Amino acid sequence: MAEKKFNTKLYGIFAILLVAAVLVTLTVTTYVSRYNGFHADKVAQAYVDTIVQTGDGYNALKNSLLSKDQKFGDYIRVNYLYPAIYENYKPGDSTKELKGLNDDSLKGEKTLGDDGTLQGQLIEKMYPVYTQLLQTNGSWDAYDAILRGYIAALRTERAALYGDTFFDDEVFFTCLEANIAAYGDTLTGTEDAFDKNTGVQTSFASEGAYQKKYGDDYKFTAQAVAERDGASAFEGSPECKVVTVQVLCGDAPVVEGVDVTLVRVGRTWYVDQDASDTAALYTFYR
Amino acid sequence: MAETEKKKYMKKSEIFTFGIGLFGVALLTGWMPDYTQTYFADFAFKGKGFDASVISINISTVFLVAGIIGAVIELITGFMIDNTRTKLGKVKPWIGFGAIPMAIVAMLVFVAPNTHNQTLGIVWMYFIYALYTAIGCAVERPSECFGALCSPEPSERASAISIASFMKSVGQSGGMVVVLVVGLVMKAIMGQQQFKNAEAQGLDLVISTAVCALGFIIFVMIFFINNQERVPFTREKVSLKDAVKVVFTYKNLLMVSLTKLTGFGRGVYGTVSLYIAIYLLGSKDLKLALLLPMGIGTAVGTLLVNFVLKKFSTKQTYIMFCVYGASSLAILYFVATGIGFRSELIVPFLILNFFCGLQHGNTNVTPNIMIADCVDEIEYKSGKRQEGLAYAGFGLFAKVASAFTKALGPWLLYTWSGYMASTNANVAYAAQSDATLNKFLMIYTIIPAVFVILQGVPILFYDMVGEKKEMITKALMERRAAAAAEEGAADAE
Repeated sequence: MAEKKFNTKLYGIFAILLVAAVLVTLTVTTYVSRYNGFHADKVAQAYVDTIVQTGDGYNALKNSLLSKDQKFGDYIRVNYLYPAIYENYKPGDSTKELKGLNDDSLKGEKTLGDDGTLQGQLIEKMYPVYTQLLQTNGSWDAYDAILRGYIAALRTERAALYGDTFFDDEVFFTCLEANIAAYGDTLTGTEDAFDKNTGVQTSFASEGAYQKKYGDDYKFTAQAVAERDGASAFEGSPECKVVTVQVLCGDAPVVEGVDVTLVRVGRTWYVDQDASDTAALYTFYR
Repeated sequence: MAETEKKKYMKKSEIFTFGIGLFGVALLTGWMPDYTQTYFADFAFKGKGFDASVISINISTVFLVAGIIGAVIELITGFMIDNTRTKLGKVKPWIGFGAIPMAIVAMLVFVAPNTHNQTLGIVWMYFIYALYTAIGCAVERPSECFGALCSPEPSERASAISIASFMKSVGQSGGMVVVLVVGLVMKAIMGQQQFKNAEAQGLDLVISTAVCALGFIIFVMIFFINNQERVPFTREKVSLKDAVKVVFTYKNLLMVSLTKLTGFGRGVYGTVSLYIAIYLLGSKDLKLALLLPMGIGTAVGTLLVNFVLKKFSTKQTYIMFCVYGASSLAILYFVATGIGFRSELIVPFLILNFFCGLQHGNTNVTPNIMIADCVDEIEYKSGKRQEGLAYAGFGLFAKVASAFTKALGPWLLYTWSGYMASTNANVAYAAQSDATLNKFLMIYTIIPAVFVILQGVPILFYDMVGEKKEMITKALMERRAAAAAEEGAADAE
């Protein structure tokens, strides 16, 4: 009787198909369950959580309709920064041929010789401007007013400090993001920090507003507690939901409920920033 | 004898598919460690409220534990390979049947449990990565052993190993291309910001792992279907005591393994490359530009070794490349210090980097060929063919050497060089003294050069070359022919 030979070809094809099936199943399952954009409640939770953890309404907008077609940073460039940098710029114009305030020829001696010291001073000067804008407008829901006010003040402060009119997106993002982080530190507090290589202390511990109110071990969590159909002014009248998100410290609610309006475009849910009111998330600890 | 030596045993396609197989294995094993670390630290339990410091401490321990498990499994696998006798051969079953669980477990490493229980999350990290390491060793080591079994003819075997090593070295960086392409495709489908949001949840890593695992299984199966072991295994069982003896008592094998230990500091240049890019070339973005010419040099060197081996013995080749490697690094040092760093010198500096990279081809290929020769020698002396243990022993020394490199590099960079870190929150990298910059350059060039020379020292005592190698090859072929005839007669009876 002929000995039965192991069929390596058949086994090879079987192995590839089996592994491919398992990989596709695991990837799709993981993607659908983990990708926040497919779940209205998760998008709403992420939106509220980003604001409440560090007072960062700016980064929360990355979950909103403003970021639907492009990176949030590009949205700001096109709608706020380029009009400030290039004369007569209109959103959608190409900037390739344009000459504006970001031209290297406008850099003065102080800009060219700055090793980061002047930049640090500019960030410090802009901090009270940022906090004032946030306080006046109540929340990042008024992103338009905050961005316009900040850019105007930044150009003035920078020109006074550096003695030239140079201005580009890097100047803006560096300052704004540093101010947002510093504002977050006033809420969360900071710990002593040491350089990992030299052991030199780089910053000192401070107590934040959240710690003062809720103690050192406070921990906020955002939880979607209710969901209902809603209406949105967003064009095309897509599917719309209003998700109520509660903020808890431990088990106790510190913000009873913030209604976040979401619209579905394709399979993805976005926060309709113009229809949501997050002001309570900036004041609950006071 | 001369005619027998020239005989080709492998089909042409087999040399290529052996390389394809190693490429596939390297695609997954090259991807896993770094990206697993990132995934565990930044994405696996994002938003679950876990204590970041507890998680990061545990991640270091996860890799330490996995390293220890890997070293143990390395030896166990070697021992088990040498006791495997099947119709498919002794290493092919390990590769072919181990590939399915390896691909699936690699994917599971990137599917974190949806839990708010921190202890459970930590236990899962230890379990899943240890499991991956164990299965990975049981597939990766046999795939390397295959070189010693693909042909009984040493020169044909050497060519196959060198081509496969080249493809393996390319495969190791394949994951970087995969994650780049996956990112581009995701951006095109989802839009820039939604890709950013998905990236923030580690989903690009999940998809990239699936692509690497799929590539792995396809390439490994191509190898599994097309390649055959052509060196018959010996019938004697190998005891555990014999196994340990093999690793430490055969002089030639020990000398090849020792090159890893004596040359452990060769790799410290990697630790300082970022600082070379920042302080000497002027931008941290140039780190890739710095390592790329060296990487290309390594790939070219891997092919170059194949040509050199046709003219010279493995011993001569290894020593020549060591001398060349040390010289090229010394030239780079003296050119850099003699002329000084100016922006217009970046291109010549990068070209010199390419020439420094050529030597790495030797360390990727020649030891593997030498180990295959040592396996012949061990078989000749003991009557037992033990590829599994020979490669496992070499792998063990490599793991210890890697631990030494990881300790020496940071010490040289942060302590010995006198590096001053920035204390200004707005300045990323503080200015360094000329003495420190010079020491950076030494860590990048002269110190590795010394270790390149040291790695060549054990090979001075290696003697599985020339007449001895020929005599052993001939004796083994005669022995195998006699054994085959005996087996044929027994079957006929």
